[in-house]
Amino acid sequence: MRKPGLQARGVALGRRLAATDLDLAAGSLTVLVGPNGAGKTSLLHALARIGGPAGEVRVEGRSIDDISPAARPKSLGYVPAARELAWPLSVRDFVRLTATKGDAAEVLSGLKLDRLADRRVDTLSTGERTRVLLARALLPAPAVLLLDEPFANLDPLWQLRLVERLQDEAKGGMTVLVSVHDFDLAVRLARRMLVMDEGRLVADGRPDALFANGTIENVFGVARADRGGWTEAR
Amino acid sequence: MAAFAFASAISLLAAAPGATGGVVSLNLCTDELVLLVARPDQVRGVSYLSHLPEELALWRQARRYPANDGSMLAAAARRPALVVTMGSAGRDQARLAAAVGARLLVLPYPASLADIAASVRRVGRATGNVGRAEAIVASMRSAVRNAPGGAVDAMWLDGAGRTLSPSSLGAAWLRLAGLAQRSVAGDQVTLEAMLTRPPTVVVQSRYRAGQMSSATGWLRHPAARRVARARTLPTDGRRWTCAGPTLLPEILRLRRALAR
Amino acid sequence: MTRGAALAAVGALALLFALSLLLPAGDLLALARTDAPLAATILFELRLPRAALALIYGATLGASGAAVQALFANPLASPDITGTSSGAALGAVVAAYLLGATGPFGFTVGGTVGAGAALALLLALAGPRAEAATLLLAGVAISALAGAATALALALAPSPFAFYDAFQWLMGSFVDRSLPQLAVAACGAGVALALLATQVARLDRLALGEEVAQSIGDDPARTRAVVIAATALGVGACVAVCGAVGFVGLVAPVIARAWTGQHPGRAVWPAAALGAALMLGADLLVRLAPLGRALPVGVVTALIGAPLFVRLVVKSRGRVAL
Repeated sequence: MRKPGLQARGVALGRRLAATDLDLAAGSLTVLVGPNGAGKTSLLHALARIGGPAGEVRVEGRSIDDISPAARPKSLGYVPAARELAWPLSVRDFVRLTATKGDAAEVLSGLKLDRLADRRVDTLSTGERTRVLLARALLPAPAVLLLDEPFANLDPLWQLRLVERLQDEAKGGMTVLVSVHDFDLAVRLARRMLVMDEGRLVADGRPDALFANGTIENVFGVARADRGGWTEAR
Repeated sequence: MAAFAFASAISLLAAAPGATGGVVSLNLCTDELVLLVARPDQVRGVSYLSHLPEELALWRQARRYPANDGSMLAAAARRPALVVTMGSAGRDQARLAAAVGARLLVLPYPASLADIAASVRRVGRATGNVGRAEAIVASMRSAVRNAPGGAVDAMWLDGAGRTLSPSSLGAAWLRLAGLAQRSVAGDQVTLEAMLTRPPTVVVQSRYRAGQMSSATGWLRHPAARRVARARTLPTDGRRWTCAGPTLLPEILRLRRALAR
Repeated sequence: MTRGAALAAVGALALLFALSLLLPAGDLLALARTDAPLAATILFELRLPRAALALIYGATLGASGAAVQALFANPLASPDITGTSSGAALGAVVAAYLLGATGPFGFTVGGTVGAGAALALLLALAGPRAEAATLLLAGVAISALAGAATALALALAPSPFAFYDAFQWLMGSFVDRSLPQLAVAACGAGVALALLATQVARLDRLALGEEVAQSIGDDPARTRAVVIAATALGVGACVAVCGAVGFVGLVAPVIARAWTGQHPGRAVWPAAALGAALMLGADLLVRLAPLGRALPVGVVTALIGAPLFVRLVVKSRGRVAL
């Protein structure tokens, strides 16, 4: 039995997310897909304890709710879908908001933010903000990393780089859960895929298996086309 | 419109200068004058402020008459022959007075003792009580003649350090009591100034002394109580609001208090 | 802010405080030679409350201005622009002239309730993350409402001369306040500053955005409630004792943030120190200026603050810093 990274029991968020159990092993990379409104963000919120969710979430055996705000960034890092950064802190200051120790310079250069280190975050492009939010989450070296559609505003080069980065972090022992909109990306990214529909987890398995047994077709209404790409499922 | 105005003018001219019909006052200060000069059966109304003991020394007398809200409309309802107010009256007020056949007497804000005497006389003439008016003016003249020669350094004080300007009407009254109002920047004195250079005499207005306000709070300041080096003479603050003929007995009382 | 800078700031504040106690010196020194007890009375019962009130009021405005600006992520938010001071004035006027609350304590409770109501109304109108335009409009509406209600309360008050009284007091002044009044203001301000001190780190983390802040375990709604309560208490008490003085709560935090790399929470204490210095300086200016008239201290702060306010509006356009 691999070390438990994240264990969720009965997490729910009102009508948007039915009570859900989930186990993510340490050092695993899992991808989360589902149609719009399926509840991907709600699941991530519930796991990150945003919005007053029900249920319990344990990271490395400890319940998150028992961890103080000062220590929580070391257990759980969260990268939101909204890239709103209203307060004009410098990139360096922003990244260091939740971790005063740790090598900020290394994290910044790893995400190619070193040249932007003194720029104010509210002047950055959406893609740059995504990287800043990621850097902020990574600096305390969390045990669990949750990302909500991080690839959405990234150009193809940075999508590739992010895939590699997440895979590296998982290999290093981090538990990573990423919600993704693009199936090709999802397939490339991870060996475990969670599928959500209408507020529930409806499938959990290897991506190719889920394509093969028709789960994706049923949930999304699309099927793989012969020449590559997707077509509407009949 | 012009015909109406002409007709109104004619009716005004036709009204006898000494109208013996009712008189309504719309202003606290004209209330004072009317209550002093007119006969009781002549008064048809006074402003609501004069009913308040905190506002007018003659409140008991004022309460015999109906109170109005100071508007020409309220006065017109009483169908008076004379309406008295102070300051200015708009064209509409004049028209309304004419419409009900009343004469409108607008007295100016007094700036000197002579102005007060003039206003008293005008009310006397308008109400047909010239004798009573002249008696008041005579007693004012007598006070002026008997004013003490010296001028003692003094400060009149309301709450919150408000004082009088030496060129004001109130200061003119103080001179009749032998007191010279000190000149203070902005007519506002601080407690520190009072303590550092206290005046010889403080004439302390007791206007609304029992009521909470920032002004009375000032008077209750611990430091204010130490302004004992000055002689403090309390005075009825209500009479100073209008600084009219009702101040005369107060001034004479101050004069006597100083002489002791 | 470095330790050296902090020490320099405290030193400057102490110097201003001392000057406020000692100037003008001529009459006081002369009096000390002839009547020492009287000079002591002037120093302790008149000058000390004045200087201390200016310091406390300025610090409260600076700190709560910084906190409110952090909450709304907007440099235009401040106790006066958002109508908090107007609400405090209304509350105090109602308490004193309509409810007959005697003594500074009654005034203060009224001021606190008024300020709290104004802030709650602002939150309801503009929402927690309002844009600059919405915030300004809501603040204008609340100020107008409070002003109209104050005028109504005064009109219904027992005497029309209450108008003059209230006008004088509403202009803001530290003159001739007593030690008991100082104690009341100090209590309110002390509790307010203590409450705000507990929120400094959380206010900084608000810059992460609501979602991330919640994932850390912060409760932005609770932070909002604490800041509002503290501001209502502090501003309410100060306005009740000294009247409404404007612009310090707007200016001090903006300048303080320039020293803290725009960190909103870390700017609370520097803003408090700067606000205190501004207030003491304005009061000194009012006292020493040879104008032959007593200027309300609010005039000086407005002269300094209004141009800065205009500059902020022009440069703001939805952004948060100059």
